[in-house]
Amino acid sequence: MPKPIRRLIGLLGLLTIVSMVTFGAMNFLGDPLFNILGPVAADVDNPESLKVIEEAKAQYHLDKSLPERWARWAWDFVRGDFGVQFSSSGQPPVSDLIKERLPRTLELMAVAQIIAVSIAIPWSVLAASRANRRTDKISTITAFAFVSIPSFAMAVILFYFFSVQWDLLPDTYTATDPFWGISHDHRLIQLILPGFTLGLGSAAAYQRLLRTDLITTLQQDFILMAKSKGVSKRRVLYSHALRPSLFSMITLLAINIGFMIGGSLVVEQFFRIPGIGSAVVEATLREDFPVVLAIVMIVSAGFMVFNYIADYLYTLIDPRVRHEDTSKPRKITSMGM
Amino acid sequence: MNEEQEINADEVKNDSQASEEETSISDSTQLEVSEFADKKTLGFGFWLATFWLVLISFLAVFSPILPFKDADKNYIAYEQKENPLTGKVQERPVQPPYAPSGEHWLGTDQDARDILSRTIEGARISLAVGALTALFGMVVGGTLGMIAGYFKGTLDKIIGAIFLVVLSFPGLILAILIVALLDRSLLTISVTLGILGVSPIGRLARAQTLSFSEREFVMAAETLGAKKSRILIKELLPNVLIPMSTLAMLVIAVAIVSEGTLAFLGLSVQNSATWGKLILTGSGLSTLESSPWVAFVPMGFLFLTVASFNYLSDRIRDYFDVRDIFVTRD
Repeated sequence: MPKPIRRLIGLLGLLTIVSMVTFGAMNFLGDPLFNILGPVAADVDNPESLKVIEEAKAQYHLDKSLPERWARWAWDFVRGDFGVQFSSSGQPPVSDLIKERLPRTLELMAVAQIIAVSIAIPWSVLAASRANRRTDKISTITAFAFVSIPSFAMAVILFYFFSVQWDLLPDTYTATDPFWGISHDHRLIQLILPGFTLGLGSAAAYQRLLRTDLITTLQQDFILMAKSKGVSKRRVLYSHALRPSLFSMITLLAINIGFMIGGSLVVEQFFRIPGIGSAVVEATLREDFPVVLAIVMIVSAGFMVFNYIADYLYTLIDPRVRHEDTSKPRKITSMGM
Repeated sequence: MNEEQEINADEVKNDSQASEEETSISDSTQLEVSEFADKKTLGFGFWLATFWLVLISFLAVFSPILPFKDADKNYIAYEQKENPLTGKVQERPVQPPYAPSGEHWLGTDQDARDILSRTIEGARISLAVGALTALFGMVVGGTLGMIAGYFKGTLDKIIGAIFLVVLSFPGLILAILIVALLDRSLLTISVTLGILGVSPIGRLARAQTLSFSEREFVMAAETLGAKKSRILIKELLPNVLIPMSTLAMLVIAVAIVSEGTLAFLGLSVQNSATWGKLILTGSGLSTLESSPWVAFVPMGFLFLTVASFNYLSDRIRDYFDVRDIFVTRD
């Protein structure tokens, strides 16, 4: 079987296991019935409430065995039906909730990644072109510091300076506002603070990687060749050296989308953005399992898919990779937060 | 959140160091220390970071017997002021929060509690979370990883699969799920975060064990008839420990940050001050406006601690040349 297909099957298997573990853990550790009915669920002595309990059990298939319920859920899930919320009303269906909230998180991620990349590239080029000189040393220390600032701390810092002290940017997010536009009533502007919160740390992480790769590239013969042909320094840096140096950064970019989802939980909570990050937090606290399960699946799947894409992006940047083994170990470690 | 993602960024420090590292890769770590100790230095930053961590740990451990102010007491200040109702000059309480002063070095919060004492109090919990998390990750991950790396075969495949599954969970969501469903005790939070540390540490331990188990000294011990447990503990563990502890330092940093994240989601350790909770209390709009130090003091402590752990890990990794083993994705 060709390698890409084999990997794809592996990913699907992994997703299945993730869903099983989450499904099992949630039913094992929590009490879904209680969240649907409230205190009535514990009142088993009263025949009237017993009837309600039985009805609810039948309605939510809670009277079936765990594997059967999982299979039922999985079958619905692959057809795009994520079930009903475990709340007293059960409305809106989980699929609708996700459809409403996922785009907001994606917008935030997109803004954050654009900010991160557009800071990281000029920053690393600047540092690499002055490698080991003062500018580079200062920028290395700065990058290190930025990487060590947690997203919640960054949120407080940016909020304090740009919203409280200088009153430049809005601190509120209104989901109904239009996206494009440059006033405080447009979500593009409202996403700047959350975007920078997520983006600055990532920018620093990208910078550290890209700078190293750029320095390595700049020592190669074709750069010397370009320089001796009289190509301008700027052109050498941006169009000759940058492209072959982007490898590790693209991997990190893909992996980082997974991390950003983690970071976005807290950023969405802090800036009150009703995306899937805040949805999963609310749902967990309410023990609304179908919502949690759906979001866990989306996030895990997204994480895996972006990793998968990263591998194939390589071939776009460097055609030579097509003929090499793309499965060679990469230099990046991750810790899954 | 991002500090653990790039590993070999500072690779190209300078040319001489780089070539030196290349020559030393084939030697065992033990040999390397004695041979290159005079050439490689850990640097000023290393000692600065170590100093900070020793200081903060000392303060955290001994805070009950050190002359700090009571973290939970309200130190209301009084001043001679005219009572607006009676018009008499008398002792009247001053509205807290108080700015940093000789009395309260780093100010007080809105309940007139001393920020310095509270931050030190928070260090106790935050550092405990970090240490317990790393300990759990090292014991469980290290054991599993070494077993997988040494015995290979089916066992390796099973353990590898477990690591892969844990790694493919969105970590933070898993953490809030467990913490929300169980309880918010120090132990639950640490073990939950520890589970997330098991996979990276375990994979590192496996890779290290795998490469060392082919080496002459292990084969010699095997030929001499040493028991497997002896080989694992006496021959392999010392070689796995240093790279593992550099990763454990990152795990501590990540755990401290994650505790803060959990605090911001309302899920941190119950009934005690942690850095995350302290920052959260100070980060409301009105508090930030009137008394930014309430949030920024614990934040500064947290930042220095996290940065120190990151930096130490970085330096030690460079010093012992373990970065090549940090390949955890395959």
